Amino acid sequence: MGAKPLPIARVIGLVKNYYLESVVVRALRGVTLNFDEGDFVALMGPSGSGKSTLLNLVGCLDRPTEGSYFLGEEDVAHLSDDQLSEVRSRYLGFIFQSYNLLAQYTVVENIEVPLLYQGCKLTAETRARCVRLANLVGLADRLDHRPMQLSGGQQQRVAIARALVNDPHVILADEPTGNLDSRTSDEIMQLLTDLNRAGKTIIMVTHENDIAAWARRVVRMRDGQVETDTRTEARPGGLPVPESSPAIQASLGMPSP
Amino acid sequence: MIRLLTVLFAIAFFTLLITQLVSDKGRRSLVLALRSLWLHKLRAMLSVLGIIIGTLSVITLMAFGEGSMHDALEDIKRQGATNIIIRSVKPPDDSSTTRRTRIANYGLTYADYERFLTVNSIVRRVPMRIFPQEIRNLERKHNGRVVATLPEYVDVNTIDLACGRFLNEDDDRYMLNVVVLGSKVADRLFPFGDPLGQSVRLDKYFYKVIGVLRDRMPTGAAGGTSSQSAEDFNNDVYIPLHTCKVRYGERIFIRQPGSFSGEQVELSQVTLTVADMDQVRPTGAVIRDLLERFHQKGNDWAVTVPLDRLEEAERAKDRFTRLLAVIASISLLVGGIGIMNIMLATVTERTREIGIRRALGAKRRDITMQFLIEAVVQTSVGGMIGVVFGLGCVFLIPPLAQWLFQAHLPAQVNVDSIFYSVLVSIGVGVVFGLYPAWKASRLDPIEALRHE
Repeated sequence: MGAKPLPIARVIGLVKNYYLESVVVRALRGVTLNFDEGDFVALMGPSGSGKSTLLNLVGCLDRPTEGSYFLGEEDVAHLSDDQLSEVRSRYLGFIFQSYNLLAQYTVVENIEVPLLYQGCKLTAETRARCVRLANLVGLADRLDHRPMQLSGGQQQRVAIARALVNDPHVILADEPTGNLDSRTSDEIMQLLTDLNRAGKTIIMVTHENDIAAWARRVVRMRDGQVETDTRTEARPGGLPVPESSPAIQASLGMPSP
Repeated sequence: MIRLLTVLFAIAFFTLLITQLVSDKGRRSLVLALRSLWLHKLRAMLSVLGIIIGTLSVITLMAFGEGSMHDALEDIKRQGATNIIIRSVKPPDDSSTTRRTRIANYGLTYADYERFLTVNSIVRRVPMRIFPQEIRNLERKHNGRVVATLPEYVDVNTIDLACGRFLNEDDDRYMLNVVVLGSKVADRLFPFGDPLGQSVRLDKYFYKVIGVLRDRMPTGAAGGTSSQSAEDFNNDVYIPLHTCKVRYGERIFIRQPGSFSGEQVELSQVTLTVADMDQVRPTGAVIRDLLERFHQKGNDWAVTVPLDRLEEAERAKDRFTRLLAVIASISLLVGGIGIMNIMLATVTERTREIGIRRALGAKRRDITMQFLIEAVVQTSVGGMIGVVFGLGCVFLIPPLAQWLFQAHLPAQVNVDSIFYSVLVSIGVGVVFGLYPAWKASRLDPIEALRHE
C-alpha cells in the first residue's frame, strides 16, 4: 500500500456506561482508535475488558454514551435505531462465534438475508452473486442445505459469505473460531486472511493468541481502555501467505489493490 | 355503515398485503410463516383452535339462520307479499244475539267487498266463502272445507294443478255445479280411480270434478310469531262463488251430535292485491279504518298483512344475528388470546433469530411485519379451516337430522358470512399479533444475540 489511506473507521473518545439499577458499569472509558482500510485488527483482552462492547459499538449495534464514531465520513454514533439498521445493512458484515445462521433458510437464502434488508430486489443476478460467494467459501455443492446439515466449519463459511454479500466496508468477527477445532479454525482464518489480502477490512475479537497472530494488528484492552496497539506485519507460525487469488477478487467484485 | 367500515378495512388490509408481497422481504416472511406453520402443525392447529371454532360456529349458525329465514320468506311469498288478507272472525259469544236467533250473524259483507273498490291502490279483490262441509263420493266421505271463490283465486295463491283445470268465468256466471279437489280430498274419495269427470256430493247436490290440485304447502306457520296456526289447503274443495250463493245462501248450519248451530256470513275472506309493495302497509291501514267505520258492533274481522310477517321475520333474524355476533366475538376473543399467547412464546423462542436479523440490518418495522405476517397467516389459515369445517357441517347436518330425527333443518350458506369470517380472522391476527410483534421489534439487538 502506497500513501496512507484515510481511516475507514475512527472512534474518538468512546465512552460506554451501562446503568444497572444503582450500579454504573463503565465498560469503555474513552477509547480512540483508527481502523485503516484493508486492516486486519484483532481485539484482545480479558473478559470484562470492554472488547465486546467496543465491537458492538463499531458494529453499530449500540450507541456510545459519549464520543464519536466515524464510519467513512459520517458520524454514526448518535443515529436513530432505523438509521443504524441501514448502516449495518449497507456497510457492515458480521461473523459470530456461534455462526448465527437462520435455521429455517437454506445456505443461499441465508447469504441473501442482508440484501433483503437493504431493500433490494432478489433477482437472478443477486442469486448468482450469492452462489459465487458460496463458491468462494467452498460450499458450491451445499447451496440447498439447511444449517443443521452442515458442520461447524461449513456453517461459519456460510456466515462469512453472508458477511460479504453486501460488500461491506468493515467485517466484524466476534471470536469466529471460538466454537471450532484448531484445524477448522486455521481454515477459517486462512479464508479471512485471503479476504483481507483482497482488500477487506476485518476487525476481530478473540482471546486466543494464535488466532490473534493471523492479524496484522493486535489491540489489547484492559478495563475499558486500550492497553497496547501493535502492528505485526510479519506472520508468525511459518505459514506462507498466499497472494489473494484473482478468483477471490473476482468474486468480491472489487479491483485489485 | 358497518358494511362500509368493513369494506374500507378490507381494502386497507389488502393494499398493505400487496405492498408487502411485492417486496421480497414481505414475501420471504410469508413463505417463512407458512413454513413454520407447516413445521409446527399441531402447535399451530391448537393455537388457532379458538379461531377455527369461532368461524365454524358462525358459518354454521348463519347458514341455519339464513335457511329458516329463507323458509319464512318462501312462506310469505306463498301468501303473497303484496296481498292483504281480511278474514271474518266469529266474535266472542254475545248472549243477547245468540239466544234470540241461535244464528250468529257476523263477518264481511258484499257491501264491504264493494267498498274495497274505493281504495284505488287495490288492483284485485278475491272474495271467498269458506265453511266446513262433508264431502262424499258414494259411501266414501271426507270432512273438508268448501272454498267458494272466483277464478282470480289463482292469481293470489300459488296453486299447482295435478290434472284438469281450475274454475273459470263461465263456471261462475252459469253457476255450474263444478268442483276442484284438494289433493287429500281426492286421495280419500278416489283412492283408485281418476277423479276427473266424476261427481262428489256436497250437502244435497252433486258437483262435477273438473280439476285436482297438487299438495300445497301450508302457510302462516314459518317465521315470526305464530299468531295464526298453519292453514292446510289439502282438505279444501273449490266451487264457484255464485254457485255457493244459490246452493247454500248465506246461512250455514252446522249439525253436531247434541248441538245445532248456525251462522250467517256473507264472505269469510277477502284477499286484496295491492299494486305496489310500498303501498301494502298504508292500504292495510286504510282497510282497517274502513272496516272499523262500518263494523261498529264488534270485532268480527281481522286484517292480516303478510308483509308485516316479513318484517317480523327480519327482526327475528336481526336478533339472531346479534346473538351470533356475541358468540362469535367471544370465541374470537378467546382465539385471539390463544394467538397472542403462542406469538409471545414464539417471540421468546426466536429472540436469537430476531437478534441476527437486526444485526444483518433489519429495521424494527421489518421485525414487526415479520411477526405480524406470521400471526395473520396463522389466523387466516385457521379461519379458512373453520370455513371449510363450517361448510361441511352445513352440508352434512340437515340430511343427518332428517335421517336421525326426521327434523326439517333448513340451511343455506351465506356467502357474506364466509367473506366476513375470513376477514375477521385476519383482523384478529392483526389485532392480537400486534403486541407480540411490537415486543419483538423492541428487543435490544445485543441482548437478543446473546439469548440462548
